[in-house]
Amino acid sequence: MSVANESSQEAHNMQEHHSSVRYWVVWGVLLALTGLTVWTGSIHIPQFGLALALLIASAKGGLVLLFFMHLVDHKGANRLVMAVSVLFVLMMLIMPMADLATRYRPANPAGSHLSDLPDLEFIEGKKSTHNRAGGGAHGSGQAAPGGQQAPSPSHP
Amino acid sequence: MNPSSSTTADGVLPAHDAHDAHGADHAHPSYLVDGTTIKSWLLTVDHKRIALMYLVWILLFFLVGGIFAMAIRLEMLTPGPTIMDAMTYNRTFTLHGMIMIFLFMIPAIPAVFGNFVLPLMLGAKDVAFPRLNLASLYIYLAGAFLALWGMLNGGLDTGWTFYTPYSTHTTTTVAPVLFGAFIIGFSSIATGLNFIVTIHTMRAPGITWFKLPLFVWALYATSCIQVLATPVIGLLMVIVTGEQLFHFGLFDPARGGDPVLFQHLFWFYSHPAVYIMVLPSFGVMSEVVATYSRKNLFGYRAIAYSSLGIAFVGFFVWGHHMFVSGQSTFDAGVFGVITMLVGVFTAIKVFNWVGTVYKGAVDFKTPFAYFCGFLFFTVFGGMTGIAVATTSLDVHWHDTYFVVAHFHFIMVGATVMAFLASIHYWFPKMFGRVYHEGWGLVAAVFIVLGFNATFIPQFLLGNYGMPRRYFEYPERYQALNVASTAGASLLAFGFVIISVYLTYALVYGRPSGKNPWRSKGYEWISDSPPPTHNFVGPQPTFSEEPHLYVDPKKAEVPNAV
Amino acid sequence: MQSSAHTAGATPGVPRLAAHFASLEVQNHAARLGMWLFLSTEILLFAGLFVCYGVYRYAYPEAFAEASRHLDLSLGTVNTVVLITSSLTAALAVHYAKEGKNSLVAIMFGLTIAMAGAFLVIKGFEYSHKFEEGALPGPYYTMEAVQLPGVPLYFTIYFLATGLHAFHVIIGMSVLVWLMFKAMREKNFGPNNYTAVELGSMYWHLVDLVWIFLFPLLYLI
Repeated sequence: MSVANESSQEAHNMQEHHSSVRYWVVWGVLLALTGLTVWTGSIHIPQFGLALALLIASAKGGLVLLFFMHLVDHKGANRLVMAVSVLFVLMMLIMPMADLATRYRPANPAGSHLSDLPDLEFIEGKKSTHNRAGGGAHGSGQAAPGGQQAPSPSHP
Repeated sequence: MNPSSSTTADGVLPAHDAHDAHGADHAHPSYLVDGTTIKSWLLTVDHKRIALMYLVWILLFFLVGGIFAMAIRLEMLTPGPTIMDAMTYNRTFTLHGMIMIFLFMIPAIPAVFGNFVLPLMLGAKDVAFPRLNLASLYIYLAGAFLALWGMLNGGLDTGWTFYTPYSTHTTTTVAPVLFGAFIIGFSSIATGLNFIVTIHTMRAPGITWFKLPLFVWALYATSCIQVLATPVIGLLMVIVTGEQLFHFGLFDPARGGDPVLFQHLFWFYSHPAVYIMVLPSFGVMSEVVATYSRKNLFGYRAIAYSSLGIAFVGFFVWGHHMFVSGQSTFDAGVFGVITMLVGVFTAIKVFNWVGTVYKGAVDFKTPFAYFCGFLFFTVFGGMTGIAVATTSLDVHWHDTYFVVAHFHFIMVGATVMAFLASIHYWFPKMFGRVYHEGWGLVAAVFIVLGFNATFIPQFLLGNYGMPRRYFEYPERYQALNVASTAGASLLAFGFVIISVYLTYALVYGRPSGKNPWRSKGYEWISDSPPPTHNFVGPQPTFSEEPHLYVDPKKAEVPNAV
Repeated sequence: MQSSAHTAGATPGVPRLAAHFASLEVQNHAARLGMWLFLSTEILLFAGLFVCYGVYRYAYPEAFAEASRHLDLSLGTVNTVVLITSSLTAALAVHYAKEGKNSLVAIMFGLTIAMAGAFLVIKGFEYSHKFEEGALPGPYYTMEAVQLPGVPLYFTIYFLATGLHAFHVIIGMSVLVWLMFKAMREKNFGPNNYTAVELGSMYWHLVDLVWIFLFPLLYLI
C-alpha cells in the first residue's frame, strides 16, 4: 500500500538529527528565564507584573514546545492541534473574566473587588468566623455557635 | 444476482471471484462469521465488530432513556401527580437527560456508524488504533454501568445540567452518576482521537482531502470537538464530585464562589457537545441524499467547510445558555451575535442538500423518507434555535417548553432521524441483508408524524409560558400536554415497528448483494458484509470522487450538475 | 498510547509494524499525531482550573497576593529548576534513542524519574507545611496570618491545581519507568525505532509545561 502525503512529509521532516547541544542551550535559557521571573515576580511590579510573568512563562513554554517536544520539526497537523488548543483556552479565559467585569455588580461574589457587598465570612477587623456551623447544608470540622466570634487580642 | 458486478464507484476488484451462488466468499469470510467464539467478539480489534457491539448497547440505553421519556409524558398527562411524586419526577427527567445525552446521543452515530464505515470510506483496513477502539468500548460500558447504578440507586435529581450550588448540596447520588459520565468522556475522547489520526494518516492512494466522503468530513469535525471539549466537562465533573464530598466552595456564593462560573465551564463543553450530536447526522444525510437522488452532491466544498465552521464557531457561543443566569449583557451580546453565525453554516448545508435533490432521479426509499423528515426538523429546529439565541426573546422562553421543543427538534428530529436513516442505509453493508421496504416506510411515517405530534404542542406550551422541569402545571396547559403524550405514543409505536422488522430482516432478510442501492459512495466498493480486513486483494484505488453519478465533463446536457 | 513494539529476537532497532498500517512511516506519524492530540486534551483539562484561577484572582486580587506570599518561593523555585532539568534529561533520552545508545537512554530516564521523585518530595514538604499552618481549602481554612475574603478560594485552587499536576507527574513517572526498563532489557531503540521514547518524553514535557505556567501564577503574584 502506498502512503498518504502527510506521512511521507512527516517522515521527511523527522529525518534530521541535530546534535544535543541545542537541548543544553535551551535548558540554559529556561533557567535564565526562571531566574528572571523569580526576580521580577518578587519585586511585585504593580501594573505589569502579571503580564510580564505570563510573557516569560509563554516564552519558556514556547521553548519547551518547539525544541524539547520538537514542534519545530513536526510540521503540519501537529502544530495545528496545539495552536487550536491554545486559542480555545484563551477564549475560555477571556469570556468569563469579561463576564465578571461587566456584570451587574451585586451579582458578583460578595466581598470581591467587583462587588459592593460585604463578604459573608470575613468581616473586616474581626477574627474570621469562618468555621461557624450556622447556615447552609455544608458543615465543617470545627463548629462554633453561629454569630459568635472567638476572642482575639486585636479585637477593638 | 452476481454480487461482484460493478455498478459501483471506480475500484479495482479481485481478478478471481471467489463468491459462490449465494454471494458468500469462502476464501474471505465476512467479518460476522470470521471467528465464532465469544472471545473472538469480546477481544476483537476489528472496527466492524466493535461497531456492532456499540450498536447493541446504544440501542439498549436508548430504550432505557425512552422508557423514562414515556414516564415523563405519562406524568404530564394530568396537572397534578399522575404516576409519581415530585422527587421521583425530578429524578426521572434527570435520568432521561443523562442517559439520552451521555449514553446514547454522544456516541451513537460516531461510535456505531463512524466506526463501521470510516475505514471502508478511506480504503483502510482498520482505524489507526484498533486496540484503543476496543478499549473505548469497555470504558464506555464501565462508565455507563456506574452512572446507571447511581441513577437507579438513589437517582440524581439535579437535571442533566447539575448546576451548582444545588448539585453540591443535594443528598441524591451525585458522585457515581457524574463519575460514570466522566469515565464515558474518556471513551469519547479516545474515539475522536482515533478518527482524527485515521483520517490524517490512513487514506488510500487517490483520496485527497477534497475527495473525502462528506460523512468523513463530518466525523472529522465531530472528533475535533470531542477531543477539545470533553476534558473540560471531565474536570468539572470531578470538581463537583469533590465539592459534594468536601464542600470547598469553589462555586458556592457563601464561600465567595461564583455559580455562574460553573455554568461557563459547563456550557463550554455542553454547547459543542450538541454539535457532537448533530454534525455526524449532517454527514450521514449528505451521503443519503446523494445516493437516493442519484446525483452528485451540490456544493461539496461548501458542505465540507461548513462542517468545520460549525465545529469551530460552536466553541464560541456557549453563553447563549446563560442569558438569564446573571451573566453580563456584554457577554450575552457577544455570544448572541456569534450564535447567529452557526445558523449560517447550517443553512449552507440545507440549501446544498436541497440543491442535490433538485432535478435528481429520486429513489424514495426509507432512508430518503427519514431525510425528508430530517430536513423539515432541522430547518424548524434550527430556526427556533436562532430565535432563542436572540436574548430579548430568550428572556421569555428560557426554561420553558419552547426550549425543550427546540432541542428535541434537533436531537430527535435531526439526530435520531439520521440514526434511523443510517441503520437503514447501511443495514445491507453491515449484515448483507435487506429489510422489508414497505414496513420501513410505514414506520417512517409513524416516526415523523409521531414526532411532530409530540413536540409541536411543546413549542406552543412554552410560548404560553409553561416552565420545563415542573412537576405540576395549571389546568389550561393540560390539553397540549395530552396531545404531546399521544404523539409520544405514536413515536414509540414507530420504534416498535422498526425493531420488529429489522430483527426479522437480520434473520430472514433476503441477501442484499454488494450494493443494493447502487450507490457510488466509497464504502460500497467492499463486499456487503465486508471481510475482516475490509478489502480482498489489492487495495482499491479511488480515482473518482465519491457519489459521482454524472461526470460533469461527459454530461449530455450542459450544467447538468 | 500505541507503542511501536519490539518483539525479542527481531533485528535490533527495527520495530514491529502493525498489520493495518501501510508502512512504518504511517505508523510513526499516526503515533505522534495521536500523542499531540492527547496532549491537547491534557491542556484543555488544566485550562478549566486556570479559568477558575483567572476569575477568582480578578475578583480577589489582595487575597491572592497575600496568600501567595505565604508560599515558600525558594522551594517552588527549586521545584521549577528540578522539573526543567528533568525535561532536559527526557529530551536527551530521545536524542540518545535516535542514536541507538540504549544504556544512555536508560540513564537519562533514570535521572528524569529521580528528579520527578524529588519534585514530589518537595511538594510533600510544602503540603505538610500548609496542613500545619491551616492553609487549607474552603471550610478547613484556619490560617491566622491571612484573613481576607477570597483566601480559602486561593488555596482550593492551589490544592486542586498542584494536586492534579502531581497526579500527572506520577503517571508520567510510571510511563518513564516502563520505558527505562524497556531500554535496559531489550536494548532495541535506534534510529528507526524511537517513537515510544519520543511519545513518553512528550508526555513528560507536558507535565513540565503545565508547571511552567502554574509556578508564576501561584507563587509570584
